[in-house]
Amino acid sequence: MTKGVIFDIKEFSLNDGPGIRTTVFFKGCPLRCIWCHNPEGLSPKRELFITHNGCTHCGLCKQPCDHEDCRGLGRCIHICPKGLVKAVGKLYSAEELAADIKREEDLFRSTGGGVTLSGGEVMMQPDFAVELITALKPIHVLIETCGYAKQEDFIRVASLCDTVYFDVKLADREEHKKYTGVYNDLILENLEWLKKSGINFKIRTPLIPGITDTDENLAGIARIADGAPVELLPYNRMAGAKYSGVGKKFTDIIKSDVSRIKSTEGLPENFTLR
Amino acid sequence: MNQNLYNFIVNEKAHRALRHDYVDNGELAADYCARGVSDADRVADRFVKMMADEVPTIFEGQQIVFMRTVKKQPKIYTDAEWEEIGRKHKLHELGFVSNLTPLYGRTIARGLEAELETANEFQKKEIAAILDLTDRYCAEAKKQGREDIVEILTKIPRKGAETLREAMQFFRILHYSLWMEGTYHNTVGRFDLMMNPYYEADIKAGRLTKESALELIEDFFLSFNIDNDLYPGVQQGDNGQSLVLGGKTVDGGDSFSDFSRLCLIASRNLKVIDPKINVRVNKDTPLEVYELCTELTEAGLGFPQYSNDDIALPALLDLGYAYEDAVNYGMAACWEFIVPGVSHDIVNLDSLNFSKVVNSAIVAKIETAKTFDELMDYVREVIRFDVNRLVEHCYSARWFVPSPMMDMLSGEIKYNNYGIHGTAIASGTDSLAAVKKYVFDDKTVTPERLLHALGTNFNDDPELLHILRVEAPKMGNDIDWVDDISADLLDTFSAAFKGRKNVYGGIFRAGTGSAMNYLWQAAETGATADGRLRGEPFGTNFSCNLFSKIKGPVSVIRSFTKQHFDKVINGGPLTLEFSSLAFRDDESKKKVAELVRYFIQRGGHQLQLNAVNLETMKDAQIHPENHGHLVVRIWGWSAYFVELERDYQNHVIARQEYDV
Repeated sequence: MTKGVIFDIKEFSLNDGPGIRTTVFFKGCPLRCIWCHNPEGLSPKRELFITHNGCTHCGLCKQPCDHEDCRGLGRCIHICPKGLVKAVGKLYSAEELAADIKREEDLFRSTGGGVTLSGGEVMMQPDFAVELITALKPIHVLIETCGYAKQEDFIRVASLCDTVYFDVKLADREEHKKYTGVYNDLILENLEWLKKSGINFKIRTPLIPGITDTDENLAGIARIADGAPVELLPYNRMAGAKYSGVGKKFTDIIKSDVSRIKSTEGLPENFTLR
Repeated sequence: MNQNLYNFIVNEKAHRALRHDYVDNGELAADYCARGVSDADRVADRFVKMMADEVPTIFEGQQIVFMRTVKKQPKIYTDAEWEEIGRKHKLHELGFVSNLTPLYGRTIARGLEAELETANEFQKKEIAAILDLTDRYCAEAKKQGREDIVEILTKIPRKGAETLREAMQFFRILHYSLWMEGTYHNTVGRFDLMMNPYYEADIKAGRLTKESALELIEDFFLSFNIDNDLYPGVQQGDNGQSLVLGGKTVDGGDSFSDFSRLCLIASRNLKVIDPKINVRVNKDTPLEVYELCTELTEAGLGFPQYSNDDIALPALLDLGYAYEDAVNYGMAACWEFIVPGVSHDIVNLDSLNFSKVVNSAIVAKIETAKTFDELMDYVREVIRFDVNRLVEHCYSARWFVPSPMMDMLSGEIKYNNYGIHGTAIASGTDSLAAVKKYVFDDKTVTPERLLHALGTNFNDDPELLHILRVEAPKMGNDIDWVDDISADLLDTFSAAFKGRKNVYGGIFRAGTGSAMNYLWQAAETGATADGRLRGEPFGTNFSCNLFSKIKGPVSVIRSFTKQHFDKVINGGPLTLEFSSLAFRDDESKKKVAELVRYFIQRGGHQLQLNAVNLETMKDAQIHPENHGHLVVRIWGWSAYFVELERDYQNHVIARQEYDV
């Protein structure tokens, strides 16, 4: 049995699909989008996370300790009285995670909701994803994916899902490489499979000011979608909030807090704006 | 909405400049004392004098009139007399009648002339003073060319009301008069049940449209905010003007109607702290009602508060209320279930502090108890001991300054029950859960270490503080064995009152509220085994510890719906704070509404939601001048944030917020 690395479980997540849902965040992502708002989801490994707001610099977490699970983190995670110093990335078996989520099955059912698997990237842990989705059935399962995965992995995970939210961030191959770290070939191949699969899906594009919200990119996305539904996601100005937690710095390339796109006026009919 | 009136009263508060002081330096009380005037006569006489001193004041476009122009009531007892009364009797709070729901509807239908037939001499005096002031209002209206007001005040309150506006104007006069008399925390009761017949008659006769009715309700709701800065309370806003919509009727129907809908919309439009809206729901309440209520929650006022008929009604029957009384239950000032007109219950007489009793038991027995069950046995014993103390302390009669007006607005009093709050259930539960896990089951913390840490406020054991505070299992995370402890505590609490009677033969009602004790009792409670530091505030009412790491609102709802509320129905809601982002679109709001329905369908008793914005509150602490309108919920009532003392502000900021 595979263990999954999960960095967060969010109850009552309002923006991750229909009805009342719980969202599970898989740790580890093959992309390095400069605008990523979940920096703690990038590395597939368990890592240290420090919330600096509220820290009194008492120094307790810097003292040596002999806890097994503090090893390699560089801090003691079992001492902060405010709980500001912790590790992100918890190991779960599919059974225990599914059992915890299933507590709320009645609420999912009565509201047409379910479970959303997000990340990080779900497809980075395909074996665990398959086990988890299987264990969650018959609950409605939706995945949010960047689409970057070996096609055989993509197919066996996506085939089990009720709905797929599929990110296409940049249409241009080189631009995609520049801002996300990878070319989009694999992503577009998987999208082509998805289009033919009969699985309910929609394409999602985050509106990053000056990068993805340009006329050229939106036209490119429209061509790729070829009539399939596209949802534009407003840029979250709080995107950089968690970077200090994992000791990283947020990009300074994005110059504006808000996208110039305020409505779908002038965009193809299959485009919606959240 | 009448925007000019709103600006005048809410924004500019310009009406306050039209008030004057009643000139008295103790002469009135001295005179009563010298002449040996009776209690009721003093109340009635002062009422007459104050009403005579009132200056009729009507604002442009205002439909519902009567505002206080005399600021403060003169005293009716000399200091020496009041001290003597305090020695001879037990007083409740300020000593005046409070926290009851008058039978407004009955008198509104009858008219004061009809009431005169059965009135005693004090009531007759007061009625005459009301009619005199009404006539002066009438004259002022005539002077201003307000024929609409002249027409209404020529008829009511002498005769019974026949239209919605007459009924609301009549209500206003009675409500205003009660406060003038010194009676306080005057609650509204089942407002839609009372007003809907007038509304329907008006609609049928074409006297009102939905639009004009809405404007009238808004005008009426504003009247609750004209004098509320003069009302006594722990903090401004704590004034008991709570109003109930919906709920089962004696004939098996439900009072929720189009009129109820208009009330919810009016409250949302006004965004003012009064009246506080309560909605009675049940497992069959349609989602549409919750959605409309959620629109009001979004306004950020901390209401509506929901109460569950499926739970409250049988529980009240179980406590001995007759069906025809229980079915009309309403809300006291905050959330206590009270029966209008026939009860003189005192619902907030005292309080058991679960955190304190549990931790005192832990300190006493942790070294000698061999098992957790043995410790629990002792905890139950301590609760029973504390309940004994409360019963003895509360047993006796409470003396009240008479209220001829409330007597007129009441039926035959059948119930004289006393309500006892249960504070800090989560702190008590979490303390026991931590002890069970670390001391008894895992044996990773020795009793000595725990006792030392509690005695020293965790000063030299930050690691234990971290474990208990951050890592320990918490109520609110839907962990059955933890939540079962809370049910055990509440069961023990309520069972200990079984068969106990007060001096009137009334019973004791156990509850889940805290009122201001989340600060007051917390201040006197030392460090606790849930990792709470000395003096640190408890969660409000029936809610999680402030610092607990919680999975989310669904788990909280599940955790807080497992207890046996049929036994602890004095009142006290679960409170959930949502980021204002949870209300950003219709789909999100629908989900919030579905979550509320989930709570009710799971058998929760009372729920209260807040839409909060932390950044706004923090900014309001720094720049109060920019946030005069910011309203927050405190315990059973809402207030303007900037008018609160800092401790109360900080508590609201520290509560669990679910961002989505």
